[in-house]
Amino acid sequence: MASSIEIHPITFPPEVLARIAPDLSIQRHLSLGVRPCLRQFEEFRNIEISDGGLSRSTDLFHNSEENNILGSNVLRSGKTIVITSITGGFVEELLPVHGIDEGEEELRNMTMQHDRISQFGAVYPVVEVERGRMGAPTDEEMNLSQKIYNCILGSGVIPKSSLNVSVGRRTTNPDKSVSITYPDEEGPELDQQFLPKRKWSYVLYAKIQVFSRDGPLFELCWNSLIYALKNTKLPRAFVDEKTTDLKIPVRVRGRSAAIRETYDIICDSHKSIPLVLNSKNVGFASNFGVIDLDPEARLPEKEDEMQVDQEDSILLADLQGEAEESSVLSTLSIISDEKGNLKHLGIIGGGSKVTTETIRRSILLSSKRSEDLSTKN
Amino acid sequence: MIEAQVSVLDQVDGSAQVTCGTTSVICSVTGPIEPKARQELPSQLALEVVVRPSKGVPNTREKLMEDQIRGVLTPVLVRYLYPRQLCQVCFQILESGEPEQEHSVKELNCCINAAYLALIDAGIALKSSFSSVCMAVLPQSSEIVVNPVTQQLQQSNSTHLVAIQVGQGGQKAESVLLAESNGSFDQQLFLDVLSTGEKECIKVALELRKIVENKIQKDFVWRG
Amino acid sequence: MAKDIEISTSEAKFLVEALKQNQRLDGRGFDELRDVKIELGRDYGDVTVSMGKTRVHCRISCEITQPYEDRPFEGLFFISTEISPMAGPQFENGNNTGEDEIMCARIIEKAVRRSGALDVEGLCIVAGSKCWAVRADVHFLNCDGGFIDASCIAVMTGLLHFKKPDISVSGEQITVHSIEEREPVPLGVLHIPICVSFSFFNPEDTEENIKGDSNNEIAIIDATLKEELLRDGTLTVTLNKNREVVQVSKAGGLPMDALMLMDCCHKAYKITETLTEQILSKLKEDSEGRNKYAAMLSSENNRQM
Repeated sequence: MASSIEIHPITFPPEVLARIAPDLSIQRHLSLGVRPCLRQFEEFRNIEISDGGLSRSTDLFHNSEENNILGSNVLRSGKTIVITSITGGFVEELLPVHGIDEGEEELRNMTMQHDRISQFGAVYPVVEVERGRMGAPTDEEMNLSQKIYNCILGSGVIPKSSLNVSVGRRTTNPDKSVSITYPDEEGPELDQQFLPKRKWSYVLYAKIQVFSRDGPLFELCWNSLIYALKNTKLPRAFVDEKTTDLKIPVRVRGRSAAIRETYDIICDSHKSIPLVLNSKNVGFASNFGVIDLDPEARLPEKEDEMQVDQEDSILLADLQGEAEESSVLSTLSIISDEKGNLKHLGIIGGGSKVTTETIRRSILLSSKRSEDLSTKN
Repeated sequence: MIEAQVSVLDQVDGSAQVTCGTTSVICSVTGPIEPKARQELPSQLALEVVVRPSKGVPNTREKLMEDQIRGVLTPVLVRYLYPRQLCQVCFQILESGEPEQEHSVKELNCCINAAYLALIDAGIALKSSFSSVCMAVLPQSSEIVVNPVTQQLQQSNSTHLVAIQVGQGGQKAESVLLAESNGSFDQQLFLDVLSTGEKECIKVALELRKIVENKIQKDFVWRG
Repeated sequence: MAKDIEISTSEAKFLVEALKQNQRLDGRGFDELRDVKIELGRDYGDVTVSMGKTRVHCRISCEITQPYEDRPFEGLFFISTEISPMAGPQFENGNNTGEDEIMCARIIEKAVRRSGALDVEGLCIVAGSKCWAVRADVHFLNCDGGFIDASCIAVMTGLLHFKKPDISVSGEQITVHSIEEREPVPLGVLHIPICVSFSFFNPEDTEENIKGDSNNEIAIIDATLKEELLRDGTLTVTLNKNREVVQVSKAGGLPMDALMLMDCCHKAYKITETLTEQILSKLKEDSEGRNKYAAMLSSENNRQM
């Protein structure tokens, strides 16, 4: 006697289905008009920001010497936390020689003026996505860091002029008291002769740490960095009067030369100036995904219920979670300000077609989002 | 606009050298080959992209380019045909043709077009053709320059790269595979750039098609 | 190497048997070098060298940095030789720890950098604070043996071809003049070392590998990939046209007759002479092509007497 085998349909609880078949899970959710994270299609996550009280200019630290954080931000979006801290250093600039050939100089200045990017400064970001172990940076971290660097430079948020150091001078007065004078404070009386004949500029580094990764990170990191830059204060710096023109003779294998002492440029622990951003170039980032609805994945409808035809592809704002990240293959990443001026737009069209309509809609949503984010502080 | 030679290397399965203006890239494709354990995908072809700069050691800049190229190649490869296999795509930039510290669009553009020819040369199955083009928007006139020279790139307000999936024998732009825009621009300008890009990509695709035709004629010379 | 190339026993035997009868697979004589083709790019210091199927690209670049503290009068010079999977699937990306790869990098380093082929003191700008850092990036495009010989030619041609931007110095201040603005200046190359690699095959049984009594090993110049994989020993001699031996490198393998070393050096010297000549004539041709109008624009007047 042949025994009959009964086939039972297997059912899974939603969270199990989301792990084993993210595709199906997301399609089922979307056909119900809701996302796995229970947000609406075009709904963003709320973000909470604070400066975290990390930087040296906060009351807690009183510009203390031990703290070298110049600006900071803690951004929380859903369960993801992004901590950005900005540190800095000085770098000596190559100064061109003046007065050798005026024609050449003029030519050089003219080409410089037309070079857009050379007028902007950058931040050197290092993104760390915490995953509970140490090791070489992952590809994702490297890509994020480079992308943020490209966007900072390309958008022109930081004008190069605001990174110039106006170097002060520390003098010991006849009465043994020490005073520091800055060129912009004292006006013309400051003796130009004793000012160093070199030029420095600030370099900014940003360390961006991400905890509890839950979806694409570029936008969160970018926004956090922008907030941090907004509250960044650069310490003033000075050189000692004595060291302004010091030379050290060196002698190697019969050759000798005088090497100028590398100036000891010192940070002023009392005074700092805010970093001036190019406010018209400040934009916030948001991301979108486009996914096609799979008619077969829809839940079986009741016969008498005629469902209204849904659109074939839908736009999702602010992607979140493993399922959305792995099954939404077409994504848009936009940096824009509230007026719709764009600083970066990246489309990866791996999945469903990204139409002009979708692009328009995402730019609109992104500028609204930017308006919302720019009011937070 | 594009000069290309196919099958320039013989230790790899497919290769192409593409010169576009002052930018020159050589691309090699090896595959399908056995992957390392950590690369293997149970049901699909794994893709390894390597970009090497002409000067200096590979950096995060090249890593990002690798990621962008992977974004273009992944959807066009017929990946389920080669489960548990690996395809190695290597790029060597011979001449960058742009200030490397600030830009990467010209190199990226050349790489994508070279990858198309090298993949065909290697005989890896593709779902459709693709091509790419880079553009810069000049200040004041807002003129869109296709394949800008270094000076235009430096003066430009924004730089754009558009890679398009091309169908119907290189006649029709089907969908955007990659768009990367940086700088300062607005919605209208971006849409203009996108439509210019689509048109130019079709032109490029037709040029690439001719190169492929020539290659096939050479390869099948024995058929008489 | 990640995935080694395997050569079948019959193929290996065939190759050695042919060598015993004074034949090479590609029909060359034992002392014959493959044709060397040198191409120069648009930019200064952009060289592609082909030897048969082997193809190597070299790119020279420079930037201003700080010199090492203990060498304030010297500029910096680096050679980077990383092999990518482009040269063949046996190479792994970013993992150049194979014996052959390290050997290759070391020999080029010794031949060019340590032999003082580039005048590093001429790279000094301001003693102790600013100098040029010159780097040579060697890219291996196609691998068919002879990487060392080809990359040495590529690096040396590159250094001779390269021109660094002109600078003006006044105290601590430096202006770098772009190529459009002022004619760039060439590097100071002191001599041109050329590497010639010999491969040795043992025509007798394996015992000979250890004892080395008979000393009748077969020596061939410029082995192809297949010959490289099957050889029993190798010797790289680096010479310049002043008849100076810059480097001799023989790392283990088949023991060779001491007198053969002299013989090899003599053979290598002839090759060095022809290659040096070839490099210089190629460079001359290139500079004439670039300065087509120089004679016309020259300020020297044709004086009529």
